[in-house]
Amino acid sequence: MLDVGRHPNLELLAYSEVEKVEGEAGNFKVTVRRKTRYVEEDRCTGCGACAEKCPTAVPDAFNEGLGARSAIYSYFAQGIPSTHTIDPDHCRQLNGKKCGICAKTCQAEAINFEQEDRIIELNVGAIIIAAGYDIFDPSLIPEYRYREIANVVTAIEFERLLSASGPTEGHMDRPSDRAVLAEIAALEKKAKKSQKALDKLEKKFDEPSAAFYGKYQAGEYEGDEDRKKWADKYASHLKIVEPLEELKKKAKRFTVAKRLAFIQCVGSRDFRFYPFCSGYCCMHSIKEAVIAQEHAPETTSTIFGMDIRAIGKGFEEYKIRGGNNSNITYVRGRIAEITEGPNNNPVVTYENTRERKVESREFDMVVLATACAPTKGIGTLAKTVGVELDKYNFIKTSSLSPVDTTTPGIFVCGCAESPMDVPESVAQASSAAQRAAEIAFQSELEKEKAVA
Amino acid sequence: MPDKKEDIRIGVFLCHCGSNIAGYLDMEELEEFSRKLPHVTFVLRNLYTCSEGGINEIKKAIEEQNLNRVVVASCTPRTHEPLFRSSCGEAGLNPYLFEMVNIRDQCSWVHMKEQEAGTTKAKDLIRMGVAKAALLEPQEPIMSEVQRRALVLGGGIAGMTASLALANRGYEVVLIEKEESLGGMLNNLNKLSPTMTDAGALADEKIKAVTGHVNITVFTKAKVTEVRGFIGKYNVDIETESGVTTIDIGVIVVSTGGRAFVPEGLYGYDGKRVVTQLEMEKLLKDGLDTDIKNVVMIQCVGSRNEERPYCSRICCQTAVKNAMLIREQNPDSKVSILYRDMQMYGVENEEMFRDSKAKGVRYINYDPANPPQVEFDKVRVYHPLFGRDMDLPVDLVVLSTPVVSQEGAEEISQLLRVPIDENGFFLEGHVKLKPLDFATDGIFLCGSARFPANIRETVAQGLGAASRASIPLAKGSIVVEPIISVLADEDACRGCGLCVALCPYGALEVRTTEKGRKVHVIDVACKGCGVCAATCYQHALSINSFTDNQIEAQLEAFLD
Amino acid sequence: MCTGRVDPALVAKAFKKGIDGLMVVGCYFGDCHYITGNHQAKAKMDMTRKLFKFIGLNEDRLAFRQCSSGEASVFVELVSEFDQKILDIGPLGGDGDTVKAPEIFKKLEAAEAVLAGEKIRWIIGKRTPFLETGNMYGEVFTEHEFNRAIDMIIVEEMEVQEILARLKETARSVKDLANDLTIPPARVFRYISALKRKGMVALDTVAGQTPIFQIARQEV
Repeated sequence: MLDVGRHPNLELLAYSEVEKVEGEAGNFKVTVRRKTRYVEEDRCTGCGACAEKCPTAVPDAFNEGLGARSAIYSYFAQGIPSTHTIDPDHCRQLNGKKCGICAKTCQAEAINFEQEDRIIELNVGAIIIAAGYDIFDPSLIPEYRYREIANVVTAIEFERLLSASGPTEGHMDRPSDRAVLAEIAALEKKAKKSQKALDKLEKKFDEPSAAFYGKYQAGEYEGDEDRKKWADKYASHLKIVEPLEELKKKAKRFTVAKRLAFIQCVGSRDFRFYPFCSGYCCMHSIKEAVIAQEHAPETTSTIFGMDIRAIGKGFEEYKIRGGNNSNITYVRGRIAEITEGPNNNPVVTYENTRERKVESREFDMVVLATACAPTKGIGTLAKTVGVELDKYNFIKTSSLSPVDTTTPGIFVCGCAESPMDVPESVAQASSAAQRAAEIAFQSELEKEKAVA
Repeated sequence: MPDKKEDIRIGVFLCHCGSNIAGYLDMEELEEFSRKLPHVTFVLRNLYTCSEGGINEIKKAIEEQNLNRVVVASCTPRTHEPLFRSSCGEAGLNPYLFEMVNIRDQCSWVHMKEQEAGTTKAKDLIRMGVAKAALLEPQEPIMSEVQRRALVLGGGIAGMTASLALANRGYEVVLIEKEESLGGMLNNLNKLSPTMTDAGALADEKIKAVTGHVNITVFTKAKVTEVRGFIGKYNVDIETESGVTTIDIGVIVVSTGGRAFVPEGLYGYDGKRVVTQLEMEKLLKDGLDTDIKNVVMIQCVGSRNEERPYCSRICCQTAVKNAMLIREQNPDSKVSILYRDMQMYGVENEEMFRDSKAKGVRYINYDPANPPQVEFDKVRVYHPLFGRDMDLPVDLVVLSTPVVSQEGAEEISQLLRVPIDENGFFLEGHVKLKPLDFATDGIFLCGSARFPANIRETVAQGLGAASRASIPLAKGSIVVEPIISVLADEDACRGCGLCVALCPYGALEVRTTEKGRKVHVIDVACKGCGVCAATCYQHALSINSFTDNQIEAQLEAFLD
Repeated sequence: MCTGRVDPALVAKAFKKGIDGLMVVGCYFGDCHYITGNHQAKAKMDMTRKLFKFIGLNEDRLAFRQCSSGEASVFVELVSEFDQKILDIGPLGGDGDTVKAPEIFKKLEAAEAVLAGEKIRWIIGKRTPFLETGNMYGEVFTEHEFNRAIDMIIVEEMEVQEILARLKETARSVKDLANDLTIPPARVFRYISALKRKGMVALDTVAGQTPIFQIARQEV
C-alpha cells in the first residue's frame, strides 16, 4: 500500500466511483465521482487527532463490527491514503446536531463540512478491474444458525479475533463471553451511578442502606416520604447489583476458546448458493487453526471438509505439518447442522463417512469458511464499464486469455475474475498490467504511424 | 564538503505534528536540549514540518544558516523520509546528510500518559540522531543502464506467452528452447480443460506467432552455458549445434516447465495396460481402442507421499478431463476415479467435476494407508461408504502422476544463482507477494518451473512475468538508493567468500583483481540488509549510512 | 537494514559500555523483509548468548524475539516482559551475573574481540550450509554437533583473547597466565605456541628456566 501511495506514476483516487466509460481500447474517457470526505485531502496529514476527539462511536467495519471507531475515521491504521473521512450517516454535525469538535481539533484546518462530491474525467488507454469479492453471508444457511448462536463466527471474524491489533488483542475470547463482559461493564456503570446517589442518602441519614432497608421493610418508617424515596432507590439498586453479581460469578468461569471446529464450503460447492469451489478457504482454515494453536498450545482444531484442497506451493506440506504439530484433525464430511449446547457451546452434527455413522460433537467455537461471493456492485460496475459477467457474476474471461474481459482494452484481475488466493492474485495483477501496457504501446505506435 | 568535525553544522527541526507530538511532549524543553547538542547550530519548531511551510523553513535554514546536516524529529521515516530527503536535495544539501528521528510513534503516541518519560526518551532519540548525523557522509544514487533485451529460457506455453508479451511491447526477446521445436508440454497433450481446446492447434498458433515476430529470436536445440553480469547487464553464452553465441541481455525469464513423473514399479505400471495420464493423452489423441470398456484412474501416484510430499495441483483436473473424453469416445465405457481429495479448486474445475458426475464418471475415495490393488483384469479398492472391498474390472488403468521438476533445473539454478526448493521447483522471491520474481533482481519466473500450473494459470503467469520483467526494460536504467553495502577497506578483504554465500540477493561476488581475490558489491542488486557487514571478520564491508562507527556513535550517545 | 546487520561485536561493545539489557526484535521466520536476515540474526544472538553465559554474564540480558509490524500489543508484551526481566536481574556485574564488576568488563572486552574475530564469525556464517549441505567434505552436521563445535570454539577463543589481554598488560610466563586465568598450563602452552606461530606473541626474556612472553611488536 505504501508503495502505491508513494509511486510517482500512480495517482490514487480513493473513495471514488466510476460513473461512465466511453471510447475504446487505447482511448477511453472515464467519468469518476470523487465522493466527499468532508476533509480536504491536500491538508489532512492523517495524524488522527480528530478521530480521538470525536464523540460518536460507530461499529468498526474493519473489525467486522467487533469493535468501535469514531464518525471521523480512517478505515484502518495503516490505510493509504491516511486521509480521514467523515461518515455522513453518523456525524453529529452533518445530521443537524451541534458538534464540529473535529474541526476545532484539526490544526491543519482540513475539515470542511461544505465539501461536495466532485466529478472528474480521465483519459486512459486501458482499464483494469480489480473490484475484489464479498464474503458470503452465512446467515442464509439456516442449519448453521450463524447470528443465532453467538459462538459461530465467520473466518474473517475469527481472523480479527486472532489479530494482535484486533478487538481482543489476539485472545480467543468467545463472542458469547464478550457479550456478557460488555453487559457487566454496562451494569457496573449503572451500579456506580446509583451507588453514588445512595452514598449521599447514607450520609444524610448516617446509616448504611442495607440496614435501613431491613428496618424499612419491617414497617418502621411508614409515611416518611424521604425515606420511601431512599428505599425505592435501594430496591432499584439491588435490581442492578444482584444480576451483576450473578454475571460476574459466571464470568469467572470464562476461558478462551480451546476446542475449535472449522467448517469448509460454507456457501461454496452448495447448489443452493454457489456451486463453485472458492479455492482458498481450506488453506485459511488450516492457517487460522495453526495460529490459534500458536497463541494457546492446548488448542485443538477439527476441520470438517469434503476435500481438503491444499493445492498451492507448499500447501500440502503445511496441511500435514498442521496435523502433526498444531493439533489439527481433518474430518471428511459435510456438517448437517449446528445447535447450541450447554455453556453456549456450539454442537456440530455430521456424518462420519469413514465410520459411516452420525456423530455430534461439542466445541467452544465454530468457524465458518465462507464462500468467495461476487461483489455486490459488480453488476452495476460491469454495465457501466461495459463488460460481460459469467453465470455466477464474476467477470467473464477465457482460459487462454485469462485477464481479458469481453471488451478489448478492459482487463480484470483477482477475485473479481474468480476466487483465488494471494499469490495467484498478485501474479494475475501483473498479467493484467502487461495486457494494459500492450494496449498502451500499440496505440502509441498507431498514433506515431498516423503522424508519420 | 567539510572534512573536519568542527565544520559540521547540524540543524534540528522539531515537529509538533499539530498536537500529536506537542500535546504530549515538552517541546520547549526539547528545543533547549537540542541547542546544547554537539555540532547543532540551529533549532526550529514547526507545527507540521512536512507542510509546505515547514519544508520551506528547512530549505531556508540550509541556505541561511549554512547547515550541512539536517535532523528532523517528527513521525515515521516510513512515510516521510523520502519527502525530507528530497527537500534537502532541493536546497542543495546532499539528501543523505539527512537523519530522521521518530518522536511521534516512539514517544508521544506510546507514552501519552507519561509526559516526562516520553520527553526524556525523545531527548535520547534526538541525541542519538544528532550523533549519527555528524558522521553521515554524502552519497550519490547509483545508476546503471539496462540492455533492452530479454532472455526467455524455455519455449513452452509459458515462455512463448512471455516472449510474445514482451515483443508486443517493442522489446527484443531471445527465446531459448532445448528441444528441436517450440511448444513444450503442449506437444504431448490432447485437449486442454476446461474448454477442450486442442493443444496441438494452440501450440501451432503460438509457434507461428513467435517465429513470425520481428522482435523475437528463437534458438532451438540450444542451451545457456554461461551467465555473467547482473540486472540490466547480463552477458550470456548460448550453445547451439552451430556453435556458441554471446549476447547482451537486460532481464531473464525462467520458463523451463516441468515433466511428468514416470511411476516405475508402482501399481504394475507397464505403459500398455497401466499407463500415465500423459500417455493417456496420446491414446486419446490417436483415438481410443473401442475394446476399452472399463477404465480405472488412480490419483496421487508418486505424490503426497514421504518422498514427494506436495500435491501436484493439476492431476485431478487432468483425470476428470480425460475421464470425460474416454466416455465421449467410448460411450458405453465405465470410468472410475480413485482419489484422496478431488482437487477441483475454483469455478471452472468444480464445474467440470460436476459435469463429469452427470456424465457418468464414478468417484471412489481411497485411504493412502489402504491403497488400491492393481491386478491383471481388476482393481480392488476399499469403498468407505459401503465399508467393504470392491473389485472393479479393468481394460486400462491410468495413473495420475505428479509434475516434477524439469531435468537440468539444478544446472540452471546454479548458472543464474537462483534457488530451487526441496521439490526441485524454482523458488520465488516471496511466496505470497512476489510469486513471479526471484529474490535476485532482473530474473523472473513463470509456469510449471515454479509449480505445476494448468493452461489458464500458465498463460496468466507468462503475461505476469513479462510484466515484471518489462519494468527495468521500460525504465532503461536502474536507480538504486545508495544505502547499500560497500567494500570500505579493500586491503582487509581476503576474498574468502563468506559474505557471498550469505547474501540473499546474489549481490556479492569474488573477483580477481590486481590486489588478489576481492569481494565486489553489485550495487544495483544490493538491498542494504547488512548481513555481510555483520559477518565479515575482516571488517572490510560496511553499509552506507549504517556504518559501524555511526552505530557506535548512536550507542554512545544513548549512554550519555 | 535488517536484524541481520546486528553485529555481535557491537552487542558486546554495548554491554561493555554499560547497558544492562539488549533485545533484538526481528520479523517472523518466513516473513523477513530481507529473506533470510532474521535467521542470521537468531543464529548470531544464540551464539552470543552462549558466549555471555561462558564469561559469567547472565545470558538473559540478551534476547532475540520476533513480532510483526502489525502486532503492537505483542511488541508491548515483549518489551514489558524484557524490561521486567532486566529489572529482576539487576545492574550489570551485580547479583544477577556470576562474574561481578569490574572483572566482567574485562571479560566483555575479550568477548568483543572474540565476536569480531575470524573463527566465530566464520562458523556462524557457515551455520546454514553446515546444517544443510555439509562442509567442504560433504559432512552434514546435526544441530547438536554444530552447537558442540560452537561451545568448543567459544572456550578456545575466549581463552586466547584473555591471554592476549593479560599479555597486553605485561609480559608473563605460561605458569603465571595459567594461574591468573585458571586454565591448565598445557593448554596455555598450546595457545602460546599457536600465537607465536601467527606472529602475535613473542619471547620477551628467559627468567632462569622460565620463558616470559610478550605481545609481538606489530600487535602492540
